[in-house]
Amino acid sequence: MTLLKADDITVAQGGTPILHPVSLHLEPGEPLVILGETGSGKSLLAQAIMGTLPRDLAARGRVVLGDHLLDAARPEGFRPLWGRQIAVLPQEPWLSLDPLMRAGRQVTEAHHLVRGLGTQDARAQAATDLDRLGLAHADTRYPHELSGGMAQRVAIAAARAGGAGIVIADEPTKGLDAARRDEVADLLLAELARGGGLLVITHDLALARRIGGRMIVLRAGRVVETGPTAAVMAVPTQAYTRDLIAADPENWPARSRRPAGAPVLTATRLAAGRGGVRLFSDLSFDLSAGRILGVTGPSGCGKSTLGDVVLGLAPPAAGRVNRSAGLAPTAFQKLYQDPVAAFPRHRTLGRTLADVAHRHGQPRDRIDTLLPRLGLNPVLLTRTPGGVSGGELQRLALLRLLLVRPRFIFADEPTSRLDPITQKQVIDLLRDTAAAEGCAIMLVSHDPELVARTADHVLSLAPAKTGGDLSGQAVKRAGGLG
Amino acid sequence: MNTLVTRGIQALMVAVLIGAATFAMMRALPGDAAYRIAAGRYGYDNVDTAAADAVRDELGLDGPALPALLHWLGDLLRLDFGNSLVSGQPVIAEIGHQLGASLSLAAVAVVLSLIMGPPLGILAGLRPGGLLDRGLLVVSTGLKAVPQFLMALILILILSVQFRLLPAAGYGAARHFILPALALALGLAAVNARIARDAMARIGAMPFYSFAQWKGLSRRQALLHHGLRNVSVPLLTYLGLQFVTLVEGVVVVEAIFGWPGIGHALVHAIFSRDVPMVQGTALCLGLGFVLINTAIDLLTARIDPRRAA
Amino acid sequence: MTDAVMIPRRAGHALRWTGAALVAASLILAVVGPLAVPGDPLAQSLTKALSGPEPAAPLGYDHLGRSIFHRLAAALRLSPAIAIAAVLTAGLAGLVLGTWAAARGGWTDRILTMLADALLALPGLLLVLMVLAIVPGTAPGFWAGLSLVLWVEFFRLTRAATRAVLASPAVQATRLLGFGPVYVFRTHIWPEIAPMMLTAAAFGTATAIMAIAALGFVHVGMRAPTPELGLMMVELLPYWREAPLALLSPVMATFALLLGLTLLAGSRDT
Repeated sequence: MTLLKADDITVAQGGTPILHPVSLHLEPGEPLVILGETGSGKSLLAQAIMGTLPRDLAARGRVVLGDHLLDAARPEGFRPLWGRQIAVLPQEPWLSLDPLMRAGRQVTEAHHLVRGLGTQDARAQAATDLDRLGLAHADTRYPHELSGGMAQRVAIAAARAGGAGIVIADEPTKGLDAARRDEVADLLLAELARGGGLLVITHDLALARRIGGRMIVLRAGRVVETGPTAAVMAVPTQAYTRDLIAADPENWPARSRRPAGAPVLTATRLAAGRGGVRLFSDLSFDLSAGRILGVTGPSGCGKSTLGDVVLGLAPPAAGRVNRSAGLAPTAFQKLYQDPVAAFPRHRTLGRTLADVAHRHGQPRDRIDTLLPRLGLNPVLLTRTPGGVSGGELQRLALLRLLLVRPRFIFADEPTSRLDPITQKQVIDLLRDTAAAEGCAIMLVSHDPELVARTADHVLSLAPAKTGGDLSGQAVKRAGGLG
Repeated sequence: MNTLVTRGIQALMVAVLIGAATFAMMRALPGDAAYRIAAGRYGYDNVDTAAADAVRDELGLDGPALPALLHWLGDLLRLDFGNSLVSGQPVIAEIGHQLGASLSLAAVAVVLSLIMGPPLGILAGLRPGGLLDRGLLVVSTGLKAVPQFLMALILILILSVQFRLLPAAGYGAARHFILPALALALGLAAVNARIARDAMARIGAMPFYSFAQWKGLSRRQALLHHGLRNVSVPLLTYLGLQFVTLVEGVVVVEAIFGWPGIGHALVHAIFSRDVPMVQGTALCLGLGFVLINTAIDLLTARIDPRRAA
Repeated sequence: MTDAVMIPRRAGHALRWTGAALVAASLILAVVGPLAVPGDPLAQSLTKALSGPEPAAPLGYDHLGRSIFHRLAAALRLSPAIAIAAVLTAGLAGLVLGTWAAARGGWTDRILTMLADALLALPGLLLVLMVLAIVPGTAPGFWAGLSLVLWVEFFRLTRAATRAVLASPAVQATRLLGFGPVYVFRTHIWPEIAPMMLTAAAFGTATAIMAIAALGFVHVGMRAPTPELGLMMVELLPYWREAPLALLSPVMATFALLLGLTLLAGSRDT
C-alpha cells in the first residue's frame, strides 16, 4: 500500500513558478531520495508536501496520505497530521531543540500531548525511546550539553513520539563530517526498518548512495531524472546527472605527482591546544612551491588551528614555523570557508580588489586578465559580497589572493559550503594555481576523498590529542582516521 | 560566581562615582560649607567657629583635594553618611522613612506595566506584520515619545482637572496611587510590549519553535510550553535595565505629585544643596540598580542553563 | 535579529521620513518663525496676560503677557542646541573610547567598561542634577551632565560592534593582505557603526531634550524667565482653564519633536 502520494505539486512565488509539477509516491520500506543542488527546489517540494512553506510561497497539487486527501494550496489542513502521520526531521538538530528544556522532557511532552499518554506512561515511553537510541544518559541534559549527533537522535525520538509512520528528513547531514554522515544514514535506515516510509532530501551524493531506494534528481525546479538510486548513480542517463555524479570527489581522477619547487616553509615540532585540550603535538613537515598538502580529520581536531599557526595568526604551544628567506610579509595568504564573511560587507567587490591591486603595486588590468582565467564575469565587480553566489565569491577570493602573488595559501574548508559541481570547479582552480603560480597550498577539508584526490601529501589529524611526526617530503599518516 | 564578582565591582564603582560627584558638589558649594555641615551635625544653635573649623580640618575643605577626597570616600565606604544639612537628622534615618513610599509606588507601576505590556507584545509577536502588531507599533511609539513628566501632566489635566475623577496630589489612600503609578506604567508598558513582541517574533521564527509544532503540538501548546519560557529571559534582562528609567520616572513623578518618597527627597536635597542627603539617596538608587540586576542575573541563570555556564 | 523580526522595509522608511518631517517642522518654527513674525520672548505686557492669538503673537500671551509663539520658538532653539552639542560631544567621546577599548583590549578595555557599567547603574537625570550643582551656569551644566550620561551608549555600541568586526575573518583577511589599521577602520568598522551612531544620536537627542524639559518642569532645571519647554508648561499649568491653548502649545511642540526623533531613530529600543 502506498503511504504517501503527491500529484503535480507546484510552488510559486508571487505568480512566478519556482517548482514545476512534480509527482512522487512513497512505499513502505523503500526510501525515496530527492537529490538536488542549492536552488533546485528540493526543500520547497518537501515543505509543500508537509504544509510548512513560508507564507509568501503558494503551493498547488494533491497529496494523499493514507486515507487523508489533502490540498497543497491549503497548508492548514496538514497541521493535524504533523507528529501523528508525518515526522519531520529538521536541518539543524541543535537549533531544533528548545534550549531551555531538558532532552527527556522534549520527547516526553510529545508522548503526552500528541499521543495522549498519561504523564507517567509518557515519561516511561520517552526513557525507552532514548535508551533504544543509546541516549539513556542524555535524559536530563540540556541541548547545549549534547553533541550534534546526540541532538539529532533526540530530535528523531521527539519527532516520532506522536506515532508518525512517515519520516521526512531535510538535509539531515548539513555540515557533518564523513563519519557522522554515515551514522545519520544508518540511523534513518534503522528508523525505516521499524516500519513506515522515509523521504530524504539532500545534495550529498554519498548520503544518497548509502540510503538507496529510489531517487528523484531535481534541477532549477524541474525533475531531471528518476529511478532506483543505485541505477541512477551507476548509469545516469541525463547530462546533468552525469556532471553531478562526476563532481563527487569519490569519482575524481587521482592527482599525478608533480616535481617539488623551492622550499617555502618548514614547520618543526608544532603543538597547539584549545581550551586546555591538546589538539596536536610534535608535528613537523615542510612544504615546497607547487605542492599541495592536504589536512583532514573529524571536526574539532585542530585542522583550522594548524593552518592559523602556520600563517602566524595563532601562536603555537610549542615548536616553530620558518618561512623561507626573502619572502614578503604578505606571501602567506588564507582562503576562507565562508567567503561572504571574508570580504568587507559594504564595499563593492571591484573596489575591494582595486584596493588590493593598488596596495601591491599591481596594474589595474591584472584583475581583468585574471577574471576570465577564473571563469568570472566582470559584471560581478559592481556588486557587494552578499550579491554573488558562494562559488563565484570563492573564486573572487582566490583572485584577490593572486593579486598579492602569494607563495603559500592556507585553504580552510574552501568548498564545504558549495554544491558538488561548484566545489569541483574551485578545487580544480586551486590545483591550477599551485602549478601556474608556483604556490604551496595547504588544503584543509573534512572530506577524506576530496583530500586524497587533490593533495600531494595527506596529513590526517586524530580526534584526540595524539600527533604525528612528519619529516621531510615523506607523507606519513599521523594516527586517527588513517 | 562570575556574575557576583562583576556586579560587586559595579557596586563599588557606583559608590566611588557618587562619592566623587558629591565631593565635587560640596567643594562647589557657595558660602562656608564647613559651617553648614557643622550646623547639620550639631544643630544651628550649637554651631560656633570652633565647630566649623573642626569640620574644616576633618574634611580637609581648605586643604589639597586628593586627601580630602580619599577621606570623603572612606566615610562613604564605612557607610557613614552624616546628617542632613537641612533637617539635621541622620541621612540613613531620613532615607529609611522615604524608601517605603518610593518602593510601593515603583512596585505598583511595574506590576501595572507588566499587566499591560508583555501580553499584548506576545500576541503581536505571534503574527509579525499583523493588524495587532502594526497597531501596537503605532501606540507604543507614540507612548515612548511622551516623557513621564508630560504623561503625568496629561493625566492630571484629563482625570483630575477636567473630569475631577482622581486627586492630583496626596498620599495615603489607594486612589492616590492611580495617577502617579499610571504615569510611570504607561511608558514602561510601551517598551515592555516592544521587547516582548520582538522576542516572541524572534523565537517564533526559530527552528525549535517550528519543530515543536512539527512534533504535533498545537499553536497554544507550543506557546505555553516553549514560547513563554524563552520570551521571559530577554524580558527579565530588559526589566533590570529598565530600572534606571523607572527611577528617573520616580524622581520626576514624585516631585510632581508631592509623593513623600526618595525621589522627592533627592530633588529637594539638590535644590537646597544638602550634600549628605544627595549622597545617601543617590547611592541608594545606584545600589538598588545593581541589586535588582544581580537578582535578575541569578534568576535568568536558573531559567536559561546556558547562562549559568 | 533575523529579517522576520524587523519591521518591513518600506513601512520603516515611511516612519523615518515622518520623523524627519516632524523634526524639520519644529526646527523651522524655531528658526524661521521669529523672522516671519518678529517679537521678543521676554517682553511683558501685563494688560495682554492670557489673551488669545493676534497677528503679533500667533499663539496668544502667557500669564505675564509674553508672546507664547516667541517663547516657544526660543525654547525650541535652546533645548535642541544643548542636546545636539551634548550628543556631538558624547558621540565623539564614545566613538573614540569605544574603538580604542575594542582595539587595545586588556586593562584599557576593562577599566573603560567598568566605568561605563557604573554610569549605566545611575539614573541619567540624577547625574545631570549633580553636574548642574557642580558646574556654574545652567546651559553649560546641562551640556556637561548630558554628555556624561550619553557617551555610555555610544561607547557600548562602538565597542561591541568594533570587537565583533575586528574578530571577523574579513578583517583577518584584510590584514593578511597587508593593510593597516586606518584602512581597516575605514572599510570595515565605520560602515558597520555609522548607521548605529545615527540611531543612537537621534535617541540621545530625544533623551537630552526630555531631561531638560523634565527638570525644568520640576523647577530644578533652567530658571525663569528663560523660555524652556518644561518651564513653560509648569508656568502655564495653573491657567489651563482660562487659556488652554497657552499650555497646549509647548505640550504639542515637545511631543512632536520627541516623536519625530523617536521615529527618526527607527525601531531599535534602548
